[in-house]
Amino acid sequence: MTTAAVDPIKFEVIRNALTQAAEEMAIALRRSAYSTNVKTRQDFSCAFFDKDLRSVAQAFTQPVHLGSFVRHVPLAVHRYGVENLGPGDMILSNDPYGGGVHLNDISLIGPVYHHDQLVGYTACLAHHVDVGGGAPASVGAFREVFQEGIIIPPIKLVNKGELDDDLFRLVLSQIRSKHETTGDFRAQIASNRTGALRINEIIDRYGIGEFDHYIDEIIEYTDRRTRAEVAKLPKGVFEAKGFVDNDGFTDEVVNLAVKVTIDDDGVQFDTTGSDPQRRAPVNSTFAQTFSACAYALRALMDRDLPVNDGFYRYVHVNAPEGNVTNCVHPAPVVGGWETHVRLNDLIFEALAPALPDAVCAGTKSMQCHSGFGGENHETGEYYCFLETLAGGYGARSTSDGPDAVQSHGQNTENAPVEETESNYPVRITRYELVPDSEGPGEFRGGLGLRRDYMFPEEATFTILADRDKLGPRGLFEGERGSTSVYALIKNGAEERLSSKTTVQLQPGEVISYRTSGGGGYGAPYKRDPGAVLADVLQGKISAERARERYGVVVDSITQQVDDLATEELRSGR
Amino acid sequence: MTTTPEGRFRIGVDIGGTFTDGTLVDSATGQVTTSKVLTTPADPASGFIAAVQKLLDLDDSVGPEAIEHVVHATTVATNAIIEGKTAKTAFVTTEGFRDMLEIARQIRPSLYDLQFEKPAPLVPRQLCFEVPERLDAKGEVVTPLDEAALAKVVDQIAESNVEAVAVCLLHSYRNPDHEQRIGKAIAEKLPGVIISLSSDVVPEFREYLRASTTVINSSVAPIVSTYLASIIEKLHAVGVTSELLVMQSSGGVYPAAAASENPVFMVESGPAAGAVAAASLGSALGHPNVISFDMGGTTAKASLIRNGQPNITKDYSVGGAAQSGTGAFGGASGYPIRTPVVDLVEIGAGGGSIAWIDSGGALRVGPHSSGADPGPVCYGLGGDEPTITDANLVLGRLDPAYFAGGEMSLDLDAARKAVRTHCADPLSLSIEEAAHGIVEIANTAMVNALRLVSVQRGHDPRDFMLVAFGGAGPAHAVRLAEQAGIPRVLIPLGPGTASALGLLVTDVRMEGSTTLIVRADEIDPSRIADKFARLETAGREAHKIATSASGEPVFERAIEMRYWGQSFELSVPASESGNIDAAWLSNLTESFHNAHEMAYGFRANDEPVELVNLRLTTVGKIARPKMHRLNNTSTDASTAIKGNRPVYFAESSDENGIAQTPVYDRSKLPAGAMFTGPAIIEEPDCTTVIHPGWTLRVDDFGNLGIEHNN
Repeated sequence: MTTAAVDPIKFEVIRNALTQAAEEMAIALRRSAYSTNVKTRQDFSCAFFDKDLRSVAQAFTQPVHLGSFVRHVPLAVHRYGVENLGPGDMILSNDPYGGGVHLNDISLIGPVYHHDQLVGYTACLAHHVDVGGGAPASVGAFREVFQEGIIIPPIKLVNKGELDDDLFRLVLSQIRSKHETTGDFRAQIASNRTGALRINEIIDRYGIGEFDHYIDEIIEYTDRRTRAEVAKLPKGVFEAKGFVDNDGFTDEVVNLAVKVTIDDDGVQFDTTGSDPQRRAPVNSTFAQTFSACAYALRALMDRDLPVNDGFYRYVHVNAPEGNVTNCVHPAPVVGGWETHVRLNDLIFEALAPALPDAVCAGTKSMQCHSGFGGENHETGEYYCFLETLAGGYGARSTSDGPDAVQSHGQNTENAPVEETESNYPVRITRYELVPDSEGPGEFRGGLGLRRDYMFPEEATFTILADRDKLGPRGLFEGERGSTSVYALIKNGAEERLSSKTTVQLQPGEVISYRTSGGGGYGAPYKRDPGAVLADVLQGKISAERARERYGVVVDSITQQVDDLATEELRSGR
Repeated sequence: MTTTPEGRFRIGVDIGGTFTDGTLVDSATGQVTTSKVLTTPADPASGFIAAVQKLLDLDDSVGPEAIEHVVHATTVATNAIIEGKTAKTAFVTTEGFRDMLEIARQIRPSLYDLQFEKPAPLVPRQLCFEVPERLDAKGEVVTPLDEAALAKVVDQIAESNVEAVAVCLLHSYRNPDHEQRIGKAIAEKLPGVIISLSSDVVPEFREYLRASTTVINSSVAPIVSTYLASIIEKLHAVGVTSELLVMQSSGGVYPAAAASENPVFMVESGPAAGAVAAASLGSALGHPNVISFDMGGTTAKASLIRNGQPNITKDYSVGGAAQSGTGAFGGASGYPIRTPVVDLVEIGAGGGSIAWIDSGGALRVGPHSSGADPGPVCYGLGGDEPTITDANLVLGRLDPAYFAGGEMSLDLDAARKAVRTHCADPLSLSIEEAAHGIVEIANTAMVNALRLVSVQRGHDPRDFMLVAFGGAGPAHAVRLAEQAGIPRVLIPLGPGTASALGLLVTDVRMEGSTTLIVRADEIDPSRIADKFARLETAGREAHKIATSASGEPVFERAIEMRYWGQSFELSVPASESGNIDAAWLSNLTESFHNAHEMAYGFRANDEPVELVNLRLTTVGKIARPKMHRLNNTSTDASTAIKGNRPVYFAESSDENGIAQTPVYDRSKLPAGAMFTGPAIIEEPDCTTVIHPGWTLRVDDFGNLGIEHNN
């Protein structure tokens, strides 16, 4: 803000107005959408890009999109050709190998014109509940991306303001949930239009010269602040290794390696050493890996820092091609988010010795999809449903990990039971915390949750999750959270399922999820006995567990800590 | 109508964070008397009665028996929630769903904060109980209520010494039978305990939202009922025996007895009053469409009023982060309620908001506030960071010698120094430019708030009038109107206490609702008629206890609708004229298409439309006090001029932005006075700034009407 050409007041006014435009896009999308995944769970994101396709302003929704989306939008526009776009046009794209992520995440991008002059792009991404492919909700385990659903290269879905009916029918005919998907596409169009109106209002007020100038300044401002934040980080090389529990076809773990190098030039994330890509759904595209790194860096910085091109330029990622963190065509990608979010946990684990008060212990770190569909006997329509389930959060240096909450790049709401049962032929029979699932520690991890789905009609159910081998890791003598359990319950008997599988269900059968608890932080026997007692009284942990894992004896009659017995037990540690 | 011949005075009491404001209105003449006493946080009822006593003392001719009724706005419920002082409450739900409150929406309140916390449930887990029973989505019994298990749960509740119980079973909005049986069983065993059933409080789908609303209702009920009882007792002690009414979050009032039973309807009692005041004033002056803007010391609130009614929302969280933008995660930091709340956007910009330079070198204002202590730098009470008030002082918009009517003088030099060191020098600006920047940046945030309630809801600001009040509102209003594209501004009489006046210009309103969830092309219209008739019967019953209302109740009907498959409803007023038949339904559907197009920019004529909730508000009319006319009339305002002073306006032709500006004494302005900006109008608790390009006219009642010259 040292050059005379910048009016600090105009700067702040335009910056807020751009953010507001993105926010209004998000509201228009959410409120007019049809699928539970978009309208209630908020699995979407919106952003504004300048005419050079730099990310300028984005609406807070899901961090996973905001990181990957900024790579996809410029690539999709370049691929289609800026010269082939005009006022009122919008292009659709979900191509994983054109900068995209998994097929469900479909972006709609609209160039914005101010009196025939291109001034930028509005873009919104929504996770569509179905994009065709081999299983309802399009989250199954397959060998090639072709089996995962419709691949949409950048195509002009809206031409001079008119929806291209032929194209739309072609796309829609690949998709099971036609009614909801139609509504969601319409909401995406409304979102882009809202954004374009707001951008035009800003330019009407300030003129295009000022508009462009202040966008440069906003990005430079973010750059300066990001640089100042990077300078505060400890310098050095930090590494961690871990794995995704299986790949969906074999029981072999998928090894991941992360090296974070922080020096004066910025932060370099390197995933060299991770396994080669698999013919299985766990492959992460470069955009997904980039997104994981961008999120991790952002989470270590001032909460108030804007996220735009000026920030993203500090995220340097080296992920070797053909690696599970940067897969190449035609690897399947639908479960790439499982790999992505596990990378987040590994990055924080790597940085824990250097930033012990900034990071958290292992979180559930899986997307934990639950997708199902079939023919709805009442309406005769094919329905699809998708949601993701929360788990325990990792403990921090001064506080417990919260119970049952989404982690890292994912912050989607739960689907209300009543809304779900009103719209889909399913009954949720349990939705509760899983006691004793926490990772013990001086500060404990959060509890995982249980959700049981009972199907009165035949249905196809896909689990696309993880964590059934090993629970989230603890830090500094904190212990692991519980492993997840996926089970089929029929005739009262429980059968364990893989974390990545599709099953055909008969009427009355139940699928049960019990998600992992978060990792603990610090040695459990140092935990305040009063905090252990509170957990016991609340039924979050059992008295036996309090004794065995925390060395705290709770008197079953007085419901108080037995201080003497506790001291004796703990002194033996 | 129970008004006694002498019962012509009404009292309104609004308890705020710092002051308790009392207002007494003579319904016959419209004459207003006000009182201000310090709020007494430990026992708010003491401040309440002090304000009432002061009003009665101010005018000897008004005896306590002459009080027609007393209306109260209180934050007692919100404070109990924010401070974690709610009553010990048990929660009863369907087996398998004990952790509904713990899990909440499974989201984090902030995206990138690894140290976040989820708000602690208002009922600890050991007081959450399950009962075997289950309904399906149609309300049909899947598992009958297990009476034996229920008896055990009731025993456990009895042992836990709770003051209140909330019951929320899955799909009870469809069929309240199980909830009612549980309520009865608990009442029999524990006659003194307050019981709230979700099917009574908010019979609408989405279990967590309904449960949260019900829990808040029951857990504040013991506190609210005790509090209101103590107010009534104190009123009786000073001889005021007339009815006590309480302001609801939705802007209507309801009797204290109803408030004690259903306090969740009044959690945002205070902020609603300001919107109601603006609505009433606008309507009385022939402007049914206004935007209300209330700016005080720490926050500013904006809300939209259409056809004389504030916009109402049901997407609200108590104790959550400011609700603006998507509101997506604001809710995750508080406790959602699904009762109607005046749709207002509240932002952290008030006179005390602090200006600062961030690490990227940008000038920022708020959200930190200097509060009342130490307050702005110019108060000289130890504050050293420049605030909006300091910036206004530097710009000449406030008079250092006439603050609080001259009771307090402001330190201009200290304010200039703070603006220079903290803002002007680091940005290489002059002090005036920096001060102007502080005001403009704060204005941007406030303009956003105005846009959120107007443009974003599909309303064109050009069709509205900005009614601005609160201690700091009138100093910013004209500039905000200009930036938000609002052509007219109104500054009411006594802007500092305008909110309390809002308490005296509203009706008794009782909300009733029922869930329908059926497609318009599949419903038999007589079902709608039948449901409305039932709501009306209940409304008539509730109306009987509101003795201040006159005559027969009036009913307002609305239907919340959406395209089949959507999740967010739009409320469409349901016409009362004619039979509810196929033609009526088709008009209703058309109204919905129109409303949707206005809100989201598209309509889908081929899509089925769904009717979700029926709402019926029973309105007991309360006669409005007359407005008091000014005695002196003249177009000449020169006698009101106190002097001139240099004031900074960016629009000024002077190269330094300074314009010699006349300063008027508001109390001396005659009705009909008219002049153009720049001008400053001072009164004891407020300063109004008229920018160049705007013209002011004083109306017959002393309100300042300010219009853009174009």
